[in-house]
Amino acid sequence: MSEPATLTLAEARVQLNRGAISAQELEHSCRARIEQWQGRINAFISTDSRHGQSAAGPLAGIPLAHKDMFYRAGKVSNCGSKIRKGWIAADTSAALERLDAAGAVDIGVLNMSEFAYGPTGHNEHWGDCCNPWDPAYITGGSSSGSGAAVAARLAFGALGSDTGGSVRLPASACGVTGLKTTWGRVSRHGAMPLSHSLDTIGPLARSAEDCALLFAAIAGHDERDAITAREPVAVNLEQQIRAIALSTDWIERNAHPEVAHAVLAAAKAMKVKLVEVAPPPFDLLSAHCLTVMQSEASAQHAQWMRERPRDYSSAVRVRLEAGFAVPAAQYLEVLRLRGLWLERFVRETLAQADAYLAPTIAVPLPTREATGAKGGAEMPKLLADVTRLTRWVNYLGVPGLSVPCGFDSRGLPMGMQLVGRPFSEGALLAIGHAYQRATDWHRRVPQSG
Amino acid sequence: MPQPLSSEAIEALVAAQDIPLAPGRAERMAPGVNALNVEDPLRAKLPFEVDPTSYRIQSGKLK
Repeated sequence: MSEPATLTLAEARVQLNRGAISAQELEHSCRARIEQWQGRINAFISTDSRHGQSAAGPLAGIPLAHKDMFYRAGKVSNCGSKIRKGWIAADTSAALERLDAAGAVDIGVLNMSEFAYGPTGHNEHWGDCCNPWDPAYITGGSSSGSGAAVAARLAFGALGSDTGGSVRLPASACGVTGLKTTWGRVSRHGAMPLSHSLDTIGPLARSAEDCALLFAAIAGHDERDAITAREPVAVNLEQQIRAIALSTDWIERNAHPEVAHAVLAAAKAMKVKLVEVAPPPFDLLSAHCLTVMQSEASAQHAQWMRERPRDYSSAVRVRLEAGFAVPAAQYLEVLRLRGLWLERFVRETLAQADAYLAPTIAVPLPTREATGAKGGAEMPKLLADVTRLTRWVNYLGVPGLSVPCGFDSRGLPMGMQLVGRPFSEGALLAIGHAYQRATDWHRRVPQSG
Repeated sequence: MPQPLSSEAIEALVAAQDIPLAPGRAERMAPGVNALNVEDPLRAKLPFEVDPTSYRIQSGKLK
């Protein structure tokens, strides 16, 4: 057998069930790789181990690791920050409770952007998380450690949060599969809040099939999070797909040629009926998302911003300052418009299709230097380009799945995202699974050099 | 469509919430803050009775 840590989660389960491998061997293999990779990519904050409650659950013996914002009673959650450095949680997050109950082994805490408020993976308090395919490049954020650790095969899957793209951006940049869930699908109880109207929790893993296993474990109603829905969670990866909608002309005009080629080739490879549609107004919906995100994040951080603003990095402090200048009426009107835009997306864009296909990141991945504190005048434009196609999905509150679809001429991964109706995670995962059965982009593993 | 906020208005708005701003910061913030106040074609079609909680019902209906 090849190195056990390089199996997919689904394959590892089969090997465990057959008795061909033990849970100890899986964990040992992951830990050996962490030893090998940590100095290069800084994906982990700590590597404590906690075994799940069930030896027979659907994830029994599977090593996972999670973003440093999912609370565990009696354990530290730093939230990528100086302000919460060493803070000990009193309660365990609902998502971790459910993974524990499914038998997963929690092997550590992963790096993240400060307070999940950054799209690149920079972190001046805990050190930047670096892309396993080339450490000079960003991982994407804010679930930077989740993307990097899963890509380098240090854990079989990881939880992330997605408020404006924070699961899908690192999934795309690191070459893994990431699911942004429908708003209200996964309980946020015990997870660090950023923007309550937009915050979602979802898995990053090596394949759509792996994401489906993690999604099934964490999704569902929780009385401790008032917005969680009672929709059924069952996922059928073999479900029939009607069609996929896309806007070829927009992609060709707006995405970098290498990205456009990869996404359009992926569309053809899916062997599903393709329907050309007008693109949703990405930039308008993204502006609405930012109005909501900035208003709510600034309100969430108001007390610390008054008492200890210097304890934030300058990049995060600047974002939080901006939210205090958004008029309340503008914020509330944008929230009132949200249902109308959702209706338009479902009834028009998805009128004949089960998912809308677009790049996850439409531009070449930038370096850490170009997007960091010394990034210069180009930096705001670079960041806007990276996040251009993710925030609109959060504003609509719908699910999105980022799937690897190729590598650019520098050897860096590229990703596409499938965006669906509310609660249609199963359809997106089925499309992603069918695509991954026909391709091997998700099986490529970075080398540690 | 509301008028763009001036840097002076932004400074006053933020200061009123007891958030300290560095000198010149409000001026640098203004373009980004005003860029969020976009024309929206659905604004004119927004029923008077719709409030922010209406979205939750729409999301359940449109699954």
